[in-house]
Amino acid sequence: MAHILVIDDDVLLRDVVTQMLEKDNHYVEAACDGDEGLRMFRKNTPDIVITDIIMPGTEGLEIIKEMVRLVDDLPIVAMSGGGRHSSYTNNLKIAKALGARAMLPKPFTRTELFEAITVAMG
Amino acid sequence: MDALKETTEKEYCKILQQVVFADDPDNREIHLADAFELGRNSVSQLMMPPDELVSIHHAAVLRLSEEHPELTLGEVAGLLTLPLIEISMSYGMSFREQVEQRYQDIVDRRLQQANKLEAVGTLAAGISHDFNNILGSIIGYAELIDDELPEGSSGKKNIKHLLTASMRARDLVARMLAFARQGENCGMVVVDAVSEIREALDLVNVTEKEFTISLQTGIAPASVMAKPGQVQQIVMNLCINAVDAMAQSGEIRVYVERATASQCGYDGAASGLCVMVSDRGHGMTPEMQERIFDPFFTTKEPGKGTGLGLSIVHSLVAELGGELTVESRTSGDNCGSDFRFILPLVSDEQQGTGCRRSCSRLAAAQCMGR
Ligand SMILES: Nc1ncnc2c1ncn2[C@@H]1O[C@H](COP(=O)(O)OP(=O)(O)OP(=O)(O)O)[C@@H](O)[C@H]1O
Ligand SMILES: [Mg+2]
Repeated sequence: MAHILVIDDDVLLRDVVTQMLEKDNHYVEAACDGDEGLRMFRKNTPDIVITDIIMPGTEGLEIIKEMVRLVDDLPIVAMSGGGRHSSYTNNLKIAKALGARAMLPKPFTRTELFEAITVAMG
Repeated sequence: MDALKETTEKEYCKILQQVVFADDPDNREIHLADAFELGRNSVSQLMMPPDELVSIHHAAVLRLSEEHPELTLGEVAGLLTLPLIEISMSYGMSFREQVEQRYQDIVDRRLQQANKLEAVGTLAAGISHDFNNILGSIIGYAELIDDELPEGSSGKKNIKHLLTASMRARDLVARMLAFARQGENCGMVVVDAVSEIREALDLVNVTEKEFTISLQTGIAPASVMAKPGQVQQIVMNLCINAVDAMAQSGEIRVYVERATASQCGYDGAASGLCVMVSDRGHGMTPEMQERIFDPFFTTKEPGKGTGLGLSIVHSLVAELGGELTVESRTSGDNCGSDFRFILPLVSDEQQGTGCRRSCSRLAAAQCMGR
C-alpha cells in the first residue's frame, strides 16, 4: 500500500483515478489544482504523485519542479491531455526534464495507469 | 518545305479572295476566321516560321490587288490585314487569360487545401485537452463498472463495446493532433526510408493476413530528412487504403526506386526517391480523386474510416519537401490505384550533418504522440 497524491482539475478524471487506486488498496489524497496539491504535499509527503500538467493556477510543470526540489528521488507521474498551450508531447518532455519519472498521455486505461506507476517507482 | 509553302500560299490566297468578295459581313467574318486558322495551324502544327507566314500574307495581298485593279492596295489591306491582326490578338489574349486562369485555379486549390488542414489542426489542438479528459473518465468509469459485472453477462459485453468505441475516439483525436503538431520541430534527422517502409509493411502484414504485400527496391538504403516514423506513417496509410480497396485478397506492390530527373523538380538536388504503392482494388473516379485529400472525406462505413489518412499523407509529404500524385482506374484490366510520392534524397555531404538513424517503432510512436 502506498500513499498517493492525485492532482487534476478535472473532477471526473480525478475521481476515476482515485477509485482505481483505492481499489488497488492504496491510500489516496486528491487535489483539484496545483496550489492545493502543493499544500497537501507539504503537509503530508506522499510516496507517489500523479499530476496533470496543464491546470489553471499553478501549472503542473511548476509544481513538479517544486516537489522535486522538496523531496529528491520522488516518483512522479505526469499526465497530459494535449492541446491548449504548446504541444503535449513537448509538455510531457518538459515534465520529464523537470523530474517526472513517467509520462501518461490522456486518455489512458487502468493498465496504462499502473504501468506508468511501476515505471515511476523504478 | 517549299511544297508546303506553296500549297499554303495557294490555299491562303483563295480564302483571302473569299474575304474580299464576301457578299455579307457574316460570311466575311467566317472566311477571316478560316484564314486565321490556316495561318495558326501552319505555324503551330506544320512548324512554319512565323515570318514566312507574314511573307505569304503580303504576297497574297499583293496578288489580290494585282488581279483586281478596281481595288487599291490600301482597300485590299484594309479588308484583310487589320481584321486578321485583330482576330489573332483577341485569340492570343483569351489564350493567355485561360492559361493564367488555370494556373490561378491550381494555386487556389492548393491554398484551400492548406487552409483546411490548418483549420483541422487548430481545432484539434483547441479541443484535444478537454476531449481527452472527457474520454479519460469515460474509459475509466467503464473499466470500474466492468469490475462489478458478472462474467458472461450482457452488461459485461456492452461495456467491452463501450471501451472499443472509446479507443476509436482516442485514435481519432491522436490523428487530428498529428496535424496540430506538424509545424513543431520534433527534429528532422537522416532516416533510412527503406527500413521505415519495411517496418510499415510488417505492421500491415500482421493485421491483414490474406493480402500479400511485395516490396521491390532498386535503392537501399535511401537517406531522407524526416522525423522518425513519418515515412512509416505515410506508407502505412497508403497500404491500409490499398487493403480496404481490394475485396478479399490480392497483392499490393510497393516499389522503391531512385526518381528520374523529370520526376523531381528540386533545384540543385537532382536526386529524389520515388515510392509507389500500387493496388488492384476498385479504383477511384476522377471526381473522387478531386476530393480524397480533403480532411474527413471518406467513402467507408461509419466507424471504418475517418477520412484523415490521405490528408495526413498529403501534408506529411509536403512537409518533407516531396510531392504526392495519384493515378487510378475504375475499370479494365488495369483497374486499381497507384499512389506515388517523391522525396528529396540526402546527398553524401549532407549526411555528415545529421545522425543516421533508422527509426524504431518506439521512436515512431513517441513522435506520433503515443
Ligand atoms: N487505394 C485506394 N483505392 C481506392 N480508393 C481509395 C484508395 N485510397 C483512398 N481511397 C478513397 O479515398 C478516401 C479517403 O481516404 P483516406 O485515407 O483519407 O480516409 P479513409 O481511408 O476513408 O479513412 P482513414 O484513413 O482516416 O481511416 C477513402 O475513403 C477511399 O474512398
Ligand atoms: Mg485511409
